[in-house]
Amino acid sequence: MDALLPARVAAAHHEESAMSNAARTWKDALGSRLPEAIAEEIDQYENQIELRKQGKLGEKVFAELRLRRGAYGQRYDNGHRYDGSKTQEIPFPRRGLTKGPDTEFDAPGMQRIKIPFGKMSAEQLEVLADCAEEYSNSILHVTTRQDIQLHFVDIEDTPDMHRRLGAVGITTREACGNSVRNVTGCPLAGVCRSEEFDISPLASAEFRFLLGHPDVQDFGRKFKIAYSGCAGEGCGRAMLHDLGFIAARRVVEGHEQLGFRVVVGGGLGPVPHVAKELYDFMPLKDMLPVSQAIARVYARLGEKKNRAKARIKFLVARLGIEEFRRLVDVELETLEPDPRWQQWLDEGERDAREWSAQAATRGEAQPAPGFDDWAATNVYEQRQSGYVAATVNLPLGDITSRQARRLADIMRTYSNEALRTTVDQNFLLRWVHRQDLAGLYNDLCEANLVLSGAGTITDVTSCPGTDTCKLGIASSRGLGAELRARLEAKGLQFDETLKHVNVKVSGCNNSCGQHHIADIGFYGSSRNCGSYKVPHFLMILGGALEDNAGNYGLAIGAIPSKRAPESVDRLLDLYSAERQEDEGFRSWVMRVGKKAIKEKLSDLMQVPAYEEDKSFYVDWHDSREYSIGDIGVGECAGEVVSLTQFSLASAESKAFDASIMVDNPAASEAQVQEASQLAYEAMVLAAHGLLKAANPDAKGDPASVFDAFERQFIDTGAFFERYIGNQEWPYFQAAHGAGGESRDRDESRRRVEEAQLFIEASHACYARLLQAQSGSGGSPAIAAALGV
Amino acid sequence: MTVATVDDIQRVCVKIYAPEPDFDDQLYVPIFHDWVRERVFEDLILFDVADYAHVPESPGIVLVAHEAHFALDRSDGRFGLLIQRRVSGAGDSVESLAGLIRHGLEVARRLEQDPRVEGKIAFDTSTLRIEANDRLRTPNTDDGYRVFGPIVRAAVERAFGGGQITLARVANDARDRLAAEVRITASAAC
Repeated sequence: MDALLPARVAAAHHEESAMSNAARTWKDALGSRLPEAIAEEIDQYENQIELRKQGKLGEKVFAELRLRRGAYGQRYDNGHRYDGSKTQEIPFPRRGLTKGPDTEFDAPGMQRIKIPFGKMSAEQLEVLADCAEEYSNSILHVTTRQDIQLHFVDIEDTPDMHRRLGAVGITTREACGNSVRNVTGCPLAGVCRSEEFDISPLASAEFRFLLGHPDVQDFGRKFKIAYSGCAGEGCGRAMLHDLGFIAARRVVEGHEQLGFRVVVGGGLGPVPHVAKELYDFMPLKDMLPVSQAIARVYARLGEKKNRAKARIKFLVARLGIEEFRRLVDVELETLEPDPRWQQWLDEGERDAREWSAQAATRGEAQPAPGFDDWAATNVYEQRQSGYVAATVNLPLGDITSRQARRLADIMRTYSNEALRTTVDQNFLLRWVHRQDLAGLYNDLCEANLVLSGAGTITDVTSCPGTDTCKLGIASSRGLGAELRARLEAKGLQFDETLKHVNVKVSGCNNSCGQHHIADIGFYGSSRNCGSYKVPHFLMILGGALEDNAGNYGLAIGAIPSKRAPESVDRLLDLYSAERQEDEGFRSWVMRVGKKAIKEKLSDLMQVPAYEEDKSFYVDWHDSREYSIGDIGVGECAGEVVSLTQFSLASAESKAFDASIMVDNPAASEAQVQEASQLAYEAMVLAAHGLLKAANPDAKGDPASVFDAFERQFIDTGAFFERYIGNQEWPYFQAAHGAGGESRDRDESRRRVEEAQLFIEASHACYARLLQAQSGSGGSPAIAAALGV
Repeated sequence: MTVATVDDIQRVCVKIYAPEPDFDDQLYVPIFHDWVRERVFEDLILFDVADYAHVPESPGIVLVAHEAHFALDRSDGRFGLLIQRRVSGAGDSVESLAGLIRHGLEVARRLEQDPRVEGKIAFDTSTLRIEANDRLRTPNTDDGYRVFGPIVRAAVERAFGGGQITLARVANDARDRLAAEVRITASAAC
């Protein structure tokens, strides 16, 4: 059986099996394969899940903590579902136990997994396939931001999943929530014929540098970064990002210099903004400090209360780009040089390296039928002579676990494991020798992965929409699948005139399907017709991928969902008939005008009466009468949780670890001491959290925390209120005086209990700080602690 | 050498095969939505219908319950109802697997009897594919099968209330799930 596998994969499997003979948990089994810091983070997250189940961690704080681990909500997780005539309660077993506001603990969720600039190894793909099979439903979904998403995941499975992913170098950290999301990059970077230079090392460095960085922990909303290799094409999509880097060159005193044009404040969503130029050129070495400075300005001045106005685009718009630039410049001047800036750049260089030295075949394979069609749309000539990149076109971004494993084998055989996820929800195999192309095609055929039409009109992009998203209004995947099938049936992926038209669908106006930048875009909406609701899609025309997706289209009107495919047919007919020589779709739209086009579609905007045709009152691939009753509260924005709350949650998790350890009768002397240390660290974390309420940059080493805490909270009296604080402060003093050590098991146990009490007192103190900050109370002592 | 004990193997799948039906997968969508609305199974919490029919060799149309996914699946190249446990079932490994098999048989029978597909789909309950879906406790190795095989046999006996059972390990890619094919003849209960 093992003959089916490449030798080293089989070896890895045997190794894992051997490990599992002794190990009963993934935590034990993976052991040293998981870096210590990552293991600790995941342990802490697992503790937080346990604390939430016990009611010891608030639902709001827990929601943000899980979001920052990429564990997202999913449709129906509020415990209700519309059944076509009424909304029914879903009787989950632990009804009332929540994992966030109005989010049932037992309801399945979505796990988002970051794939920085889309780069993935064969081993990583295999582990993703295993996780999809064991914790989800064997489907891996590629997103428009090069992430992988798994759906229908139980929250209690997520820590083990994170461990397995972490062991092969994949993180889910900060995949959701108010944090720096996946750093994306052109999938063709490094092999592209029109790029200035390969942005992959820079994107890698950016990702590593900002992951968990203290300066990106206090945002009011999410923050998305993209790297693009050139100004003209659309692959990088820098202009629709919060922060975009566009590769550029300049000559200074006769020497060519590489760098980036830096743009900031872009974003789609209900109110799309095209990014503005912050710097016309910034040398490569300055990328990380610039990012850090921008993050600091955003964290300090960005909106925190009104999440609808909290993205950086609103800050840039409010301040104006000149003032924003001045603030970033000031920030840059005050930043202390960080040796990691260069370290990450060097590591990024190593991390991004790809090359396939030898061909896998002699080029003698006879291609299976369909090769020419596939090669015409899915193969790209790399700038390196003799090499091509081949797109694995995934319908609606989906691939099964078994297909993913076969693809891993193909990567090993043909591309030296060079694979990227793409912003069009596909995979790109790079560094394939041209002579191997027929062999590659034949192997992809066997894996059922040879859908042609990559990047053409049939390659419809779609967000999850009402299938799984809490915010979905209409079935974007239903419409996407329908359009794809109809356009493919007409063979339009090979039509020289129409194949370049691109179609993108979102389930609501939040634009995860990126409808604004499509030739033909749709986003879901609902319209009333008599006493019924009818699913509709707003049609957007005139967007463009070119120039880093810097031109957004505008809505021309709402089409009933069931007539959306017909509206596409008519538009394509009009374009084919009216286009002037070599006129692109967008140019045609601009020339003819949206008003004229709308008039020609106006009959398709009508909805027949319910009695006349009930099919209009049901969405694609659904059978229930349409409703918007299933829409929930989105978690895109995350919960605004302060740095103090994060620290207190971490402190509780550490104290919980310590209590487990010291409660174990079989604990060794070393473990007893470790429990005592953990208890002390928990107190330091809690105190540090309070300090961060006044100063987000408060130093975190124990000595600094202790001194500052004594000065700000003890000397001022802020920590004390009636019966709270007087006991707990001496606990911290004693633990600090002993350096966290305990003489024996009894003292260690006491220290753990004292840590818990100190954390409780810190919570009480934080409540008073919040009261003072909101202006609804607070003593002079509190004001002094806050420095006001 | 023991990989796992009998009491902790909960992640399992059962597949009941049927000849490839001659109708569009979308026909299952209204059936499953109706089942969710009518709560047709007393001991299953049904709450969603997922559609992967656009993906070749995929789970197809999936009825989602708190306890398990019920997928009209073609992932191994053959059509059938694949039942994948989502959360731990009642009892030990044997009882949990037996419970999953019973659920599968119940869903298959109900589907066959639905007027919209009646006579067009027929499950073969004399052959099941049973998979371990836990690479830690039941890896796809000889050791894994030594533990899993007896659990499968005991669970099938319990679910079918007797009958003659033959069991064979499926020779598959070592990275796939550990799987057994079970043939049941002279069944008393089904």
